[in-house]
Amino acid sequence: MANTQTALKEAMTTIEGSLGVALVDYSSGMALGTVGGGKELDLTVAAAGNTDVVRAKVRTMEQLGLKDGIEDILITLDSQYHLIRLLKGRDSQGLFLYLALDKNRANLAMARHQLRKIEGDLEV
Amino acid sequence: MNPHTDVPPAPPARPGGRTGTGPTLTVLAGERASGALLCEAGTVYLSEGRVVHAESPVAPGIDVLLTTGGRLTAETWREAVGHTDGPGGVGRFLVDTGRLSDAELEICHLGALFDAAYFALGTGTGPRGFQRDAAHWLGPVRPVGADAVERETRRRGRLLDDLWPCPQVDTAPVVLRSPDPRSPAVTRRQRAVLELADGVRTPADIARCLGRPAFHTLIDIRRLAAAGHVETPRPQATAPPARSPGPGAVVWPDTVPDTVFADPGIDLLRRLRDALEATL
Repeated sequence: MANTQTALKEAMTTIEGSLGVALVDYSSGMALGTVGGGKELDLTVAAAGNTDVVRAKVRTMEQLGLKDGIEDILITLDSQYHLIRLLKGRDSQGLFLYLALDKNRANLAMARHQLRKIEGDLEV
Repeated sequence: MNPHTDVPPAPPARPGGRTGTGPTLTVLAGERASGALLCEAGTVYLSEGRVVHAESPVAPGIDVLLTTGGRLTAETWREAVGHTDGPGGVGRFLVDTGRLSDAELEICHLGALFDAAYFALGTGTGPRGFQRDAAHWLGPVRPVGADAVERETRRRGRLLDDLWPCPQVDTAPVVLRSPDPRSPAVTRRQRAVLELADGVRTPADIARCLGRPAFHTLIDIRRLAAAGHVETPRPQATAPPARSPGPGAVVWPDTVPDTVFADPGIDLLRRLRDALEATL
């Protein structure tokens, strides 16, 4: 029964190597909550920009006729991982968690697992 | 401090739409004021300079979002409203009885707040007056800084203009048209909007039917209009002054819309855009 800020803070502290995390409304591109980030990573800009990534993928799947859902999207940079996890169970709202990780410190499998747990905490 | 009743047609609003006769949100936030900022298209509630709630006749309220969206039954909502004793009671009751989690209440409330604030502050003629110490019955859930609300309102205006700079589609009844076969595919969320387009319902009506925020529906409508799935009506001279484009947005000269947005022109523009997208 965490509130959003607590759940995001938990993501920052329990996920090794996390640089910032945001809960984003994917229709409007608004960050409903952010923790971390900073000068190098403006999470509100990242949130707005990454809605286009999610939308493009959703649209492509529609065009391909894939009736599947997207669990997460991974973007690998030279020094970071960006992990986008679409929240289920609240189809009408369309939210995703956006997590930026330091590639050298992060364990991707653990991060995915913990992000799934945090989604559960949000109970959205 | 009384809200003006006969505000003359305002000149095109500056970005953010604040040309009204009332105090601006920024000024009120600086004074750490509490009360209701009355705007043409909605009301923004402040508590000690922070925004605690907003509502607009155009934007579905948190009750609609929660019940039509399927999260709560109308029965549960009524029960919660009936149980309130003092401000903040509805949300607290829903969380304490396990009907909603804290996070869900916050997310839904924030969604409704920013949605209504966009219409109150970003459209129409701006603030008309301030009712000091008026509070919303819902009570505070998670207050937001006034600067965040202003920034988000401006960002939303720019976002809509970037998608399709024809604000008349936001308020006109949604009329289907047969799209160019090469138009972008319609997503599931957009399909739900198209299914409710009957030539009578406006985007706000559709948002209410679907239990979705009105701004999100405007995004779908602008995208659908840009792709040619719904009609873009000609701008009307008598229409209420629309939100003016933010800095950097495309500004059409006054004389152009009649010619450019006539039907053949719109197809030409669309072909032009497709060709540009294909080569860039």
